[in-house]
Amino acid sequence: MQETRKRFHDELASLEELVLQMGERAQVAVEQAVRALTHRDAALAESVIVGDDSLDATYKDIEARTFNLLATQTPVASDLRLVFAILHTSMHLERVGDQGVNIAKMALATMSLPASPTIVSHLEEMGEVVSSLLHTALEAFASRDAELAVQLESMDEPVDRLNRNMYREVATLADDLQALEWGIRMNVVSRQLERVGDNAVDIGEQVVFLRTGEFTEFSDASHPGPPEGS
Amino acid sequence: MSEERRIETAGLNAWFGAKQALFDITMSAEPQSVTALIGPSGCGKSTFIRCLNRLHEEVRGARVEGKVLFDGQDIYAPGTDPVEVRRRIGMVFQRPNPFPTMSVIDNAVAGLRLSGELPRSELRARGEGALQAAGLWEEVKDRLDEPGGRLSGGQQQRLCIARALAVEPEAILMDEPCSALDPASTFRIEELIEELKSQYTVVIVTHNMQQAARVADWTMFMLLGEMVEVGPTNKIFASPDDKRTEDYVTGRFG
Repeated sequence: MQETRKRFHDELASLEELVLQMGERAQVAVEQAVRALTHRDAALAESVIVGDDSLDATYKDIEARTFNLLATQTPVASDLRLVFAILHTSMHLERVGDQGVNIAKMALATMSLPASPTIVSHLEEMGEVVSSLLHTALEAFASRDAELAVQLESMDEPVDRLNRNMYREVATLADDLQALEWGIRMNVVSRQLERVGDNAVDIGEQVVFLRTGEFTEFSDASHPGPPEGS
Repeated sequence: MSEERRIETAGLNAWFGAKQALFDITMSAEPQSVTALIGPSGCGKSTFIRCLNRLHEEVRGARVEGKVLFDGQDIYAPGTDPVEVRRRIGMVFQRPNPFPTMSVIDNAVAGLRLSGELPRSELRARGEGALQAAGLWEEVKDRLDEPGGRLSGGQQQRLCIARALAVEPEAILMDEPCSALDPASTFRIEELIEELKSQYTVVIVTHNMQQAARVADWTMFMLLGEMVEVGPTNKIFASPDDKRTEDYVTGRFG
């Protein structure tokens, strides 16, 4: 028995390699955006914003090449699932890049405003968790590890919790207008980090699809599970 | 219409002389659906389909063991007339094989003529009906007396389908019916298969996996005379259970 579609499978492998690299770059963009914010590093924030063009270009490249494979190679079975998962994952990563840009823009907009150390430390914590979520999602993708992918949902929980509490923390700054302005922007940053986490979880869903062919949604904001402890 | 036009095999084995070609195949082809058989050359899919209407035994030295049930009856039971089996379970072959000098309408009723005397008007009516059912009527209604050999390849194949339908079968077997046709003719036959399945149990052998994906409700993958996997077509082409099916449909071996 011999491989009969080597060129097609080589292209598929090359696209997977590209999406995994894209994932690393998106992860670094988010890490740098958070670091630019917490260290008030304007140059780093600007480099994240500029660097997003290359993530967008990679996404367009992946989109065009997967479209071409669908048009010309009629992929089936695990090949078809991989084409699908690559396209979806690259879309999620493109969004992650945008979320990094949004955080970097907030960093630039708040350079001269007073910061709350508590909120900064919470955002740092969120940044670390979502970075690790992205890393785990990509690792699960590369190794087709559905069990690892399923864990992303619970790993994301601290991010959701910190994000839910953020507005209360911001509200405590209400007495100082400048601090409040900073805080309102940080609420946006928190929301962006929460979205990065969700994108990582969605990539995990693609890994499960890749392994099983089953379309799953680990959780659905409009249909929450039973409350904790019930 | 009977809902019981299911074709079932149980422990089906077949030989060419001493060489075993099929190993213990148990499957069923559901009424009002299309079942596609796929697999590499020599895997036994044509042999298998030819066991379903007792054509296999026409080869010298060939034999069959196990059961093939149609409508619950064993078509290999003693006393069963193989000609009657083949009337009820018709077959369309790879290359269009109309009688080239016989007229279009006479081709359509050629099988019917063999199965008994019918008044000329009745023959013609049945022939027209069969040409309509085969999606050929509009193209040949003004050429009914021309030789069948003058039709295009795709039309000739639909003429052969009409000939198979004229004897009022209950199931249709197709052995690579499009492999000698161009893409447009292929798509016309595929559309026709979709229409035929509302009335007939259809089993099709195809080398063209995308054809199986397009026309079949069920797909069965065969390898080295064995049935590896059978399932809903979208499952076979989206996430098959067996690694060998996966490797075959994705072209990791051929």
